[in-house]
Amino acid sequence: MNEPWWIDIPKALIVVNVVMAAFAYTTWLERKVLGRMQLRYGPNRAGVFGLLQPIADLIKLIRKESFFPGTSVSALYITAPLISAATAMAAFAVIPWGPGWAIGSYDISGVIADVPISLLLLFALGSLGIYGFIVGGWASDSKYSLLGSMRTCAQLVSYEVSLALSVLGVVIMAGSLSLTEIVAKQEDGWWYAGPQLVGLLVFFVAGVAETNRAPFDLPEAEQELVAGYHTEYSGMRWGLFQTAEYINMITLSALCVTLFFGGWDGPVGDEFGPLWFLLKVFLFVVLFIWMRASLPRLRYDQLMNFGWKVLLPVATINAVATAALVIAL
Amino acid sequence: MADLLVWLIWFLAVFACLGSGVAVISFENPFYSAIALIGNLASLAVLYLLLNAEFVAAAQVLVYAGAVMVMFLFVIAYLGKRADAPWAGGPSIQTLAAAVAAGAILVEVIAVIGLASGDRLSDEASVGAAFGSPAEIGAVFLTDHLLAFEITSIVLLAAAVGGVILGSEPKAPPPEPEAPSGVQGTGEKT
Repeated sequence: MNEPWWIDIPKALIVVNVVMAAFAYTTWLERKVLGRMQLRYGPNRAGVFGLLQPIADLIKLIRKESFFPGTSVSALYITAPLISAATAMAAFAVIPWGPGWAIGSYDISGVIADVPISLLLLFALGSLGIYGFIVGGWASDSKYSLLGSMRTCAQLVSYEVSLALSVLGVVIMAGSLSLTEIVAKQEDGWWYAGPQLVGLLVFFVAGVAETNRAPFDLPEAEQELVAGYHTEYSGMRWGLFQTAEYINMITLSALCVTLFFGGWDGPVGDEFGPLWFLLKVFLFVVLFIWMRASLPRLRYDQLMNFGWKVLLPVATINAVATAALVIAL
Repeated sequence: MADLLVWLIWFLAVFACLGSGVAVISFENPFYSAIALIGNLASLAVLYLLLNAEFVAAAQVLVYAGAVMVMFLFVIAYLGKRADAPWAGGPSIQTLAAAVAAGAILVEVIAVIGLASGDRLSDEASVGAAFGSPAEIGAVFLTDHLLAFEITSIVLLAAAVGGVILGSEPKAPPPEPEAPSGVQGTGEKT
């Protein structure tokens, strides 16, 4: 491994821009797909097929007057969206895009930061990202915001446990917490979606809840809570919360692909790893949108019961059974 | 160059740690105190990172700065803004005694570390590549410290069961036929 030390800078620039572009066009895709599923056209005015809509939205959000409630705690109110967006984007630093390439005399690895505990790091970043929601809701000094952030918080804490337990099976099978190694193991053998099917299902359901997406979008149930924790936010501050939410969804899809569907592993061409990876992530993002279009929202008690009484036991049994099987075989 | 960077980060982390520690007990608003405590735990994690203990640092952020502090904020946000002036009324005997006791503990810790390590403190520690890796930590847990590990897990399990018992209400009189709205109380169920 003879990577030049400065390579992290262009790598980080590329990844941040790809992720931001993916975020922008996920919003477009979501509106388009939702529209077609509801017999509408969706955005079709800005550019061909409405392709310039995300850019137009960005300009609109940035130019909006940014006002906030007089009683809000301004320092925290301003910081909260930043925390959410920053932790969401930082997560992509450890997700591997490819097996690495030899360019000239250099070997370039396919990940920005190849740390041995990258999976743990991702969960740590996720648990810090919650603070953006709870602090933002509290600092707005509004009942709806506070209730929304309480809900977010309760939901995220409940489902985080199942999410962490569901990947334990993969970690046991791969014998590593490093995402690069987990993908490398799958390249040699099976994708873990097969042997870890239960883990995959738990991971996906808990992940949808973790990203506040339908049918688990209770924190933003507009009939009860207006808009949840970001009720009092507008302009680009609101935009940053949206950024965080969509990037979390993309990160989760990427993590799902990495852990269960072989990451960059494709039928042909290791050099095209990032393309295979992006294709798989794209399929998961479409699945997220599809679910939003087709499933109604859960009730709060159903959510809590399901999380603690179904998902958690299943995840625990899966982890224990995997451990026993790995030792026995 | 790299040494300078390490020093710089160490300096920042140490002062963030001390500063946020003082902030925890100085803020009037408990919500700010909790946020300062998050800062304190996070800067501790940075110090662990500087000591090559990546796993401990990540676990620190995940468990303490993440899950535990969310619960703190959760409760404080529910209880509302209740100001509690920690320095009101000037120093009492209790405050002075606490300061003296804290100073005594500090001196003790420094003395013990100094005596135990002798002049090894000034040498560079030799750290293997596997030091602090999850595999190493797991091996140590399940061999040298197995008893302590198991006892801790039993204590935690007992605490969790106790929490469930304290949190569960005694058998209520027959439940109402159907709650009119779908939304129920949020506090007890979490």
